[in-house]
Amino acid sequence: MRPLGASVWYVDLTKETWWREDVFPDEVAPFIGGSGYGWKIVADLLPPQVDPFSPENVVVINPGVLVGTRTVGASKTTAITKFPTIASEDNRFYVEECTGGGRYFGIGLKLAGCDHLVILGCSRRPVTIHVSDKGVELRDASNLWGRGIFEVTDELVREEGDDAGVLAIGTAGENLVRSALAIVDKTNSLGRGGLGAVLGAKRVKAIVARGTKGIRVADVVGFHRVSEELFNRALEWPRREHWIRLGLAAGWDTFKHTQYPGIWPKERWEELYGEKKRLESLDRVIACVSCPLSCRLRWVIRGGEFDGEAGLGSPYSKSATSGQLLGIEDDRRMLHLVTEANAHSGIDFYTTTRLIDFVTRAYEQGKLTREDTGGLELRRDYETYLDLFRKTAAREGFGDVLADGWMRLKKEFGLDPQDYWYGGICKGIDFIYDARPSRFHPLMMSFFTRPRPHHGGSHTRTNSLNKTLEEIREQVEHWGLPKEMVDRIFTETPYSGKFNVGRYTAHMEDMMRVKNALGICAMYTYQALMFADDMAKLYSAVTGEELTAGELVERGERISNLAKVVNVREGFTRKDDRPPEVWFRPMQTPEGRIELQDYFQMKTLTKEDLERCLDDYYDERGWDIKTGVPTRATLERLGLAKYAVSH
Amino acid sequence: MTSKSRDRHRVTGHLVVRPERCRGCRSCQLACSFARANEFNPSKSCIVLERDMRTERTAPVIKVLCCDLCDGRPACVDACKYDALAFVPASDRRIEYIEEA
Repeated sequence: MRPLGASVWYVDLTKETWWREDVFPDEVAPFIGGSGYGWKIVADLLPPQVDPFSPENVVVINPGVLVGTRTVGASKTTAITKFPTIASEDNRFYVEECTGGGRYFGIGLKLAGCDHLVILGCSRRPVTIHVSDKGVELRDASNLWGRGIFEVTDELVREEGDDAGVLAIGTAGENLVRSALAIVDKTNSLGRGGLGAVLGAKRVKAIVARGTKGIRVADVVGFHRVSEELFNRALEWPRREHWIRLGLAAGWDTFKHTQYPGIWPKERWEELYGEKKRLESLDRVIACVSCPLSCRLRWVIRGGEFDGEAGLGSPYSKSATSGQLLGIEDDRRMLHLVTEANAHSGIDFYTTTRLIDFVTRAYEQGKLTREDTGGLELRRDYETYLDLFRKTAAREGFGDVLADGWMRLKKEFGLDPQDYWYGGICKGIDFIYDARPSRFHPLMMSFFTRPRPHHGGSHTRTNSLNKTLEEIREQVEHWGLPKEMVDRIFTETPYSGKFNVGRYTAHMEDMMRVKNALGICAMYTYQALMFADDMAKLYSAVTGEELTAGELVERGERISNLAKVVNVREGFTRKDDRPPEVWFRPMQTPEGRIELQDYFQMKTLTKEDLERCLDDYYDERGWDIKTGVPTRATLERLGLAKYAVSH
Repeated sequence: MTSKSRDRHRVTGHLVVRPERCRGCRSCQLACSFARANEFNPSKSCIVLERDMRTERTAPVIKVLCCDLCDGRPACVDACKYDALAFVPASDRRIEYIEEA
């Protein structure tokens, strides 16, 4: 039986060696395990200030603690690395976790007996890393280099067997495109903002995982009792029928309001990208391992220039938003871009389409000239977009500039990312949601308080519109916080509405750390199908260590603090946690003016209001309000004193 | 099918697989291995999940020599939340139809 402790597998690409270290449970437990303990590995191993593309950068891949067991939505694997997104004008880079599901990869690692895969150094030639019962093997991948993600995955699965999990990078990762991500099992993306490029710099084309070692749980009866209850909750979810028919395409009714870019009237958007349109190309919904809801999609384009082209992933919402931003009325053309990104290059769709939107407009306005683009005319048409999309992935011509992202545009052409009109930019990367149509809720705040501006799966009830204060509070009450803390979160403030967004965000982020460490999908917390106390019960049953929701969430707080101090070492402080300027410029839309407002739309929020939210956020965390850095007292309370950084 | 497994199916019943409903979540494999070996381990389950790489379609295939139908309450059927697996007890008249199909 091996439920406790952790087996950490190190691969040194430079020396072409690997070794395994088993860690005792009492060392793992304070960090939960999974990505939580992964953070400890990173904090101890990653030297500060190294370039993300240097051999000194590390990648730690952590399947969740519950992955491989049969419980609701336990499919997530989290990778931690220093991301190559240029996060500041003085070239700082954040270290963060990114998380994604899959059917074979995460469970494959666990079944091989690997709880953490630590990738060190840099290979001289392209390689694939094979993880199995026998350990780690590096294989030459020269024949795979330069090829697309799906093609490479198919080939590796054919060699290894149907149950082989594959994480692969595409040509964008090989070319060190700073937004490039990895794709897991062909259906799930992992690590926008550059995990793919970091692996590319290490010359790792793919990681293959499969194994035959079983996964046991300490308390079988308790585990099945909790799991069955959770399965039943998911099965009884009133929206399940709609959801399993459409997968992530089912989110349109919320999405069309929360992610509205404000250019077309909503009715027109509905007609071009709404649910009916989605059904025209939707072929099938695919589940991650152990998921009774399922949301991954296979689509087939019908008619038009890409007739018959099939793709995998979750294409609809991203293509709808970027389609509107770019003015592309034929959804099939946007679906094709998603296919190219997921199946071939591994370029990040959000960042790339938004950069393209930004530069083509700048060109139109004369802020970029033909001389700047190396002779390329940046027209506002699909052919140009497709060309730029491909050139970015290949770092060809002007694509080389786009491949370095927002900060390079600023440095080279004086184009300020804060002038971009949708979503907002923080720490050098674009948010996928905009707080004006979404309203200023905790997930929006975590976009700029988290070291890496991405949601990370921190969704809670407040991500949907029109939840009651009672529904919102009910979820928070399950986090196991003392009553006075919950009361403090639900105290009305003049700067964030009926609940205190800053204080809420701090605990929500801790919950996210817990969920990712356990490997639970955000769907279940978002839709209130699983609460922190359920997670505590599952964790207790699997590890045999009895603990409460409050204790589990406190471990999440420890992980949040460790993640923060690692980034303080990189020079990140309060001055980097800036809400994007665009949020304070009202959107002028055919549906009217949309301003930044609190969740219940009681008030328009100002920059000063968000500063007050930040004060509360740091205060709630026990961090210094002026610098946004964890205080020594807080780190001592969490047993992290040795990681304290004097700033 | 061996005569032993044929007898078992005659007495207990049949598993019906509807591959078009399978979404690849592998819950059947995890439940089966747990019922048999007290651990989550697809390699110890009596179900192979066939995977078509072109379409990423999956289909559970039951290893008949391995499957003992959990004495009439197959764990895989319970675990499949997409109704890709069903159990028809021997008492059900449809069994003849399934055997011939």
